[in-house]
Amino acid sequence: LKMAAEPTREWSDEQLNSDDLPKKDIIKFIQDNAAHSFLNEHRLLGNIKNVAKTAKKEQLVVAYNQLFESKRFKGTEPVEEVTEQVKAVKIEEKPKEVKTEVVDEGPPKYTKSVLKKGDKSNFPKKGDTVSCWYTGTLEDGTVFDTNIPAGARKKKQAKPLSFKVGMGKVIRGWDEALLTMSKGETARLEIEPEWAYGKKGLPDSKIPPNAKLIFEVELVSVD
Amino acid sequence: MALEQFSDVVQRCQGLPDDSYTSEDHDVFTIAGRSCIAEGNSTQVLSVVLDEKNQDIVRCLGWNLLPSLIKVLLKKEEKSLPQCLAIFNHLLETCRPKELLIGLLEQLEQDDPDTIAESLHLLLNPLQKVLLCLGTRKASSLGMTLSSVLDQVAKLPLPHTKEQEEDDVFSLCRCCTSLISFVRPFVQEAKQNLLSSEELSESTNKVAGVEDELRTELLKFCMKTLSHPLLELQLKDPDTLAVSPLRDFASEILDTLSAIREPLPSLVFRPLLKRKQVPGFLEQEVRYPKESLASLAHLLFVHHMATDTFPNVFSPVFCLRSNMEHICLLLSRSEESRIQKGLELYEKSLVRLEDGSLPADLLEIKTFLTVPQNLVKVMTICQRQDLRTRGLKVFQMSIDKFDTEAKYSFFQYMLKTSNHSGVEGYIIKNIKSQIDLALQPGNGNAWFEGAHLLPLLRQVLSLPDGPETDLLQYLDRVMESLNLLRYLVIRDKVTENQTGIWTELYKIEDTFLKPLRVGLNMSRAHYERELHNIKETKKGKAKEESVLSVSVGDEKLPKMTPESQIQALHSALHTFDMMESVLVRLEELIEGNNNV
Repeated sequence: LKMAAEPTREWSDEQLNSDDLPKKDIIKFIQDNAAHSFLNEHRLLGNIKNVAKTAKKEQLVVAYNQLFESKRFKGTEPVEEVTEQVKAVKIEEKPKEVKTEVVDEGPPKYTKSVLKKGDKSNFPKKGDTVSCWYTGTLEDGTVFDTNIPAGARKKKQAKPLSFKVGMGKVIRGWDEALLTMSKGETARLEIEPEWAYGKKGLPDSKIPPNAKLIFEVELVSVD
Repeated sequence: MALEQFSDVVQRCQGLPDDSYTSEDHDVFTIAGRSCIAEGNSTQVLSVVLDEKNQDIVRCLGWNLLPSLIKVLLKKEEKSLPQCLAIFNHLLETCRPKELLIGLLEQLEQDDPDTIAESLHLLLNPLQKVLLCLGTRKASSLGMTLSSVLDQVAKLPLPHTKEQEEDDVFSLCRCCTSLISFVRPFVQEAKQNLLSSEELSESTNKVAGVEDELRTELLKFCMKTLSHPLLELQLKDPDTLAVSPLRDFASEILDTLSAIREPLPSLVFRPLLKRKQVPGFLEQEVRYPKESLASLAHLLFVHHMATDTFPNVFSPVFCLRSNMEHICLLLSRSEESRIQKGLELYEKSLVRLEDGSLPADLLEIKTFLTVPQNLVKVMTICQRQDLRTRGLKVFQMSIDKFDTEAKYSFFQYMLKTSNHSGVEGYIIKNIKSQIDLALQPGNGNAWFEGAHLLPLLRQVLSLPDGPETDLLQYLDRVMESLNLLRYLVIRDKVTENQTGIWTELYKIEDTFLKPLRVGLNMSRAHYERELHNIKETKKGKAKEESVLSVSVGDEKLPKMTPESQIQALHSALHTFDMMESVLVRLEELIEGNNNV
């Protein structure tokens, strides 16, 4: 907190009560120097003209004196200026690639154990296209998804899943985990529901609400 | 007569090379042959056609007999049915595939639903057989065939209820099932081609350059079916109808797409995936018609088809963003079937999200603004009551999913653009809820209290045309605004002024309450005068030109009877009373607080 030099009293009580001193001036002084919560409490927030209409001279004198008594000046409160700037709604012509910037919420909600090491040099960056083979199971072992076909011969026909990583296209657990994997790596991921399908789960599929998901993922390629 | 001519020309041509047949031979064979069949002499024609010595001419010209044969076969009660069938089958074995194809396709085209279904039932197998004989050049012929077949299917009435699907009176279900059997071998072949070309490119280390045409035709076919009949149909789920040929049809189409290597995720997420501008990109638009993709999204996300093969890893927000494009398309159409599917898809996409989870930057995406506008149209002018109600439900759900900042921006946007008093009123009610939430201890947010709230309040607490505002037209909006103000004045103590309303009140009185008071007085006086006039007129029984006219859109409704007019005027005055009572209460509350 920066400690500003305390403002000085400009007016005596006599001056304050005199008709020569317009209410607006008192209001301006108090608004310039008092903490936000002080202004709020004394109903001195807002447009000076309007405050002047609602506030009586006596109230302002009281407030002015209270300000110096309590010393609740700007900078003495932790929460200060609320900005008046309001973002207007913009309408873009082209569909934008929206990056959902997630606020840091704490420790990662997944764990990774490496089953097979990768080349340790080709790590995907955000926006790269990755391809993977994967199998997803619930905690009880139910397989809810896989793109690995049954027979080895059939694997020739199937293609690994490709997508742009780190862009919010897949569940967060995948986005985060894949960025830590290198080409050729196979890992076992255990993802908490918050970074998977959360409280809702996937209605009408095998994934119930609040489900922890376990994936075995092989990162085949990075482009 | 015809039989003689037919026999003659056939005999004359025995042993001759087929390129020496004259055009007269051709005509006689065709006309005489067709007449024989039409006249019922098919036994004789059969023996001629089966005769070893005549195989050359049969191979060359036999296909010209198809029109008459097929007519007979479609009529079915004919005695000559077995013979015609035998001739038909023999021709299929003997004549050239390309020519047979032309003959068969010509006969596909029928007009009434019964004949259409019958001709498809009769001709699909022969067509398949003929196409399979075309070898590697079959793709374009297959395309042409599929196109004609789908055109015919499009003429069949669609079943809407479960009973109609079970009864299948117009055979749509049967045709769809036959259609799947029809394409099956071609799908297999395309699959095989893809596999071979991959193995080839693997062994030679070259990338397969040429697009397989067969695959392209099958893709076109699938895309077409997604549009019609699939987008038109209301598929019944397994609980309602355990065995559904139409649901199976949809399922098969999805399987076909996967089989020809069109992965369902790339198709359904296509609006969001950046594509390189391929030369001839217009072709791409034709290849993946937007409506077909929307239909696909509906099958996947509403009917949960192909859950076993569709990856369960995509984030719900991503799915929503992609589906918004499809939803936008569906909701912008006027057909109720499209609108219903749009609403269903929107609902299913939203329900996977947690309340308050969508961030404000999503509103920078065009569809997140156009979809609500389309939704407003549905809620206000769609003919079907159930769709209007559902639209409102989805609208509220979409609001609930936004986080606080996004709600704020959305409300501002809707107030600016909806141009409908009822919608504005509904938004204002939502604003009140949000303020109420924000005022609860521990819930404070920057948007629905304090400095940010004031610009929003200014938008809400205003009269669109000042004192001249038509209070009846803007009733919903004005009432909700008054309710909101009353709520604020009661809930937010003047000593706390959390919402900032108390310091704004002076302005609000000038821009809202005073003009409203003036407007109310004027409107009331006007309507009271009208009421008086009508009552006088009624007494006098003079037929005067009605002073009260009601128009909807640009059309004037028929003149109201004096009784109805009086009722309408009373109703209007009652509305003003209602408004007045809230206004008076407000004035009391404000006065009360000012005197503190």
